[in-house]
Amino acid sequence: MEFRLINDGWRNAYENMAIDEAILMNGIPTLRLYKWEPSAISIGYFQSIEEEVNLEECRKEGVDVVRRITGGGAVYHDSKGEITYSFVCPQKMLPKKIMDIYALICASLANGLKYIGLDAKHAGINDIVVNGKKISGSALTKKYGNMLQHGTLLLKVDIQKMFSLLKVGKEKISDKEIKNVEERVTSVEREEGSTEEKKVREALIKGFEETMGLKFYKGELTEEEIKNAEKLRRKYESREWNFKR
Amino acid sequence: MKVENGILKGELKVRGGKLIKCRMKTKDDKIEEIKISGDFFMHPEEKIEELEEMLKGVELKREEIEFIINLFSKNVEMIGITERDLLRVIMEAK
Repeated sequence: MEFRLINDGWRNAYENMAIDEAILMNGIPTLRLYKWEPSAISIGYFQSIEEEVNLEECRKEGVDVVRRITGGGAVYHDSKGEITYSFVCPQKMLPKKIMDIYALICASLANGLKYIGLDAKHAGINDIVVNGKKISGSALTKKYGNMLQHGTLLLKVDIQKMFSLLKVGKEKISDKEIKNVEERVTSVEREEGSTEEKKVREALIKGFEETMGLKFYKGELTEEEIKNAEKLRRKYESREWNFKR
Repeated sequence: MKVENGILKGELKVRGGKLIKCRMKTKDDKIEEIKISGDFFMHPEEKIEELEEMLKGVELKREEIEFIINLFSKNVEMIGITERDLLRVIMEAK
């Protein structure tokens, strides 16, 4: 299978979500690797922004907040602490069952992580774990006859900061809660894998090549995708979209 | 049933770790407005708004809500939660 590889850099939250959806609309088989600047929180389609996000703290820290078109939980995307991937292709290229798609893509990611020195496994619905701790989470949607799965790989994690931006039940975060999350979440840095960005990107690409037999060619967004992304960006920036639930 | 500012709230942590929340307004024991939120998965996603619309005007009785949820779930695929979880979070909202 021929796949376009878009080795993207930093973009803001609204652009990133707009581009993911624009690629999904056209369905050109694509793997895009990207980052977030400024740092941002993305919430799942079904979540309530006010219930999940400490908006005041986000404003203070200059952290953007955006609703995804995919379900799942709220994620803090640190501009320097993670790599995000998005994977798009026509639905007919992949298994019908959603859990089978997760299994395939997560297996590719987990396989790739061995090239930066990590022994990773697919766990639960859509997590990737190293030493039993979550290092990557994903979410997928099917639309326009195509599918999109996007997700993050934590390179470095600042749990204290993450907690200050997200509402995690109690107003005040106890040391116990932080410890609890520290026991469940990890990062490439903590697992002593290579956090060198170029290596991380190459590792993820290799994972897809080996596990799914994909052949990548370097590409860019098409003019139509750029146009669609521009329109979609307005949706992702809008209060109507972000506060809809 | 305890009412806070006229809004009933429910929260349910399901097996596997997903969280469902429900906020609703009722009038004469009927659902006037309802929002179901959480970190679960439902495909197609926009169908949740259909469910919320279907539940409007429905009496807050287990069998009534169950009927609507069963009808609704024929057209969606839920991951991380079940029909029963949806029913529970609505019925336990207070």
